[in-house]
Amino acid sequence: MTALTRMRLAAFVRTGRAYAPLIAGLVVLGVLHGGGAAQAAEAYGVSAVVLFPVLAWQTKLLLDAEPDLQRRLALVAAGPGRELAAGLLAGALAGAATVVIGLLSPWLVGGITGPREPGDLPLGEGIALGVWAHLLALAAAVALGALASRAVTGSPRHGLVVLVGGAVAALAFGMKASVAPWAVPPLMSTARALTGAPGAGTVAMLTLHALAWAVLALAGYARLRRARR
Amino acid sequence: MRLDEVWFRYGRRGPWVLREVAVTAEPGQIVVIEGRNGAGKSTLLQLAAGVLRPGRGAVRDRPPVTGWVPERFPAEQPFTVAQYLAAMARLRGLRAAEATAAVDGWTERLGLAAYRHVKLPALSKGTAQKVGLAQALLRPPGLLILDEPWEGLDGPTRELVPELVAEVAGAGGSVLVSDHRGETARLPDAVRWTVADGRVSVTVPAASPMCVVELAVPVAAAADAVAALRAAGHQVLRVRQREAS
Repeated sequence: MTALTRMRLAAFVRTGRAYAPLIAGLVVLGVLHGGGAAQAAEAYGVSAVVLFPVLAWQTKLLLDAEPDLQRRLALVAAGPGRELAAGLLAGALAGAATVVIGLLSPWLVGGITGPREPGDLPLGEGIALGVWAHLLALAAAVALGALASRAVTGSPRHGLVVLVGGAVAALAFGMKASVAPWAVPPLMSTARALTGAPGAGTVAMLTLHALAWAVLALAGYARLRRARR
Repeated sequence: MRLDEVWFRYGRRGPWVLREVAVTAEPGQIVVIEGRNGAGKSTLLQLAAGVLRPGRGAVRDRPPVTGWVPERFPAEQPFTVAQYLAAMARLRGLRAAEATAAVDGWTERLGLAAYRHVKLPALSKGTAQKVGLAQALLRPPGLLILDEPWEGLDGPTRELVPELVAEVAGAGGSVLVSDHRGETARLPDAVRWTVADGRVSVTVPAASPMCVVELAVPVAAAADAVAALRAAGHQVLRVRQREAS
């Protein structure tokens, strides 16, 4: 699995497909953090939301970098389970690199301030919550990107519909007055929670919600891949 | 490896491409897949390889190592020949030293040594096809599946294909080969699977009369001699100590 993960990451970088989502991510983060400074948890909560579609797009591009026939050769060589897992792992690793850039970027443009008033979260705690918010977004984004990949959707148009539809739905159904917040990953509710000081119960519930969504979406991906080899 | 009452169609509402296919490739057997263009030969091979899943029925007893050579090698990849084959060898579970040895051996044998550092998209169709052949053989396959393997190959490599097929079969592997150019006449002892109207019929070649040839070789060379005889398509019945005279 490691060999196939390495092969796919190498193809993603060497074909130049890695650059577009990276540049797009830097642009949106620059706009977000360049406009003014906020406390760490709040700033990172919003950056996890805006990075979500970028991370999903990045995963789709990575999985689509390999020709269909090569994906089948990899499947014969490594077995269906390892072939599938290697793609998801490559998507998660590439996404983790983008998340690291996302976490570092506000420091370059002065987008983060320390606590200002009594009751504000200490800086270290704010950063830890920011990392947590990005990891929740990454898990959901890898699952959405995989569902939008060519191996599942078959055509660029269908892939785009799944990717854009999924990203828009995550924002729309994540609104405060949403009728079905459980149907999408809890990106917006995490960002809202990070405007204050979320308790352990809130953190646990949001983590559970995000993991359940990602697991269900990945199970759907595995099922669709099995049917559409 | 056997296809057990396999049915297949592309999509849920498409017509059945293959119906009630029940065939078996025994260990050591060479099978030639025949049929007109579009009859479903490649589909049958992809079902055997595990690339496609049957709509009904199942493919059973597929050996752990399967080598599949598709009709066209996917050359649009940002790797050199050596990088690609090394990655595929590691993917097949070979350790670094084993992978290097396998890549060196197959690039040499298939005449790819001069292209080791050439990027895959820059290869001619025939050379790319050799890379496709090499990736399937990096680990000795228990099932080798060749989809039109002669397509685009140069003269010496065309001659090499029956030799490779015989080697895999001699080592106990099953080999499935499709061909519409008549090249499989070079495999006279192969079983024929004919694909027509979605069904597969089997023709076993008439057995030619056999005789037993006894020969003596030094004990140290016995294993090599047996392997060479099997690779040449002969059956080795038994190996025994020679009585002192």
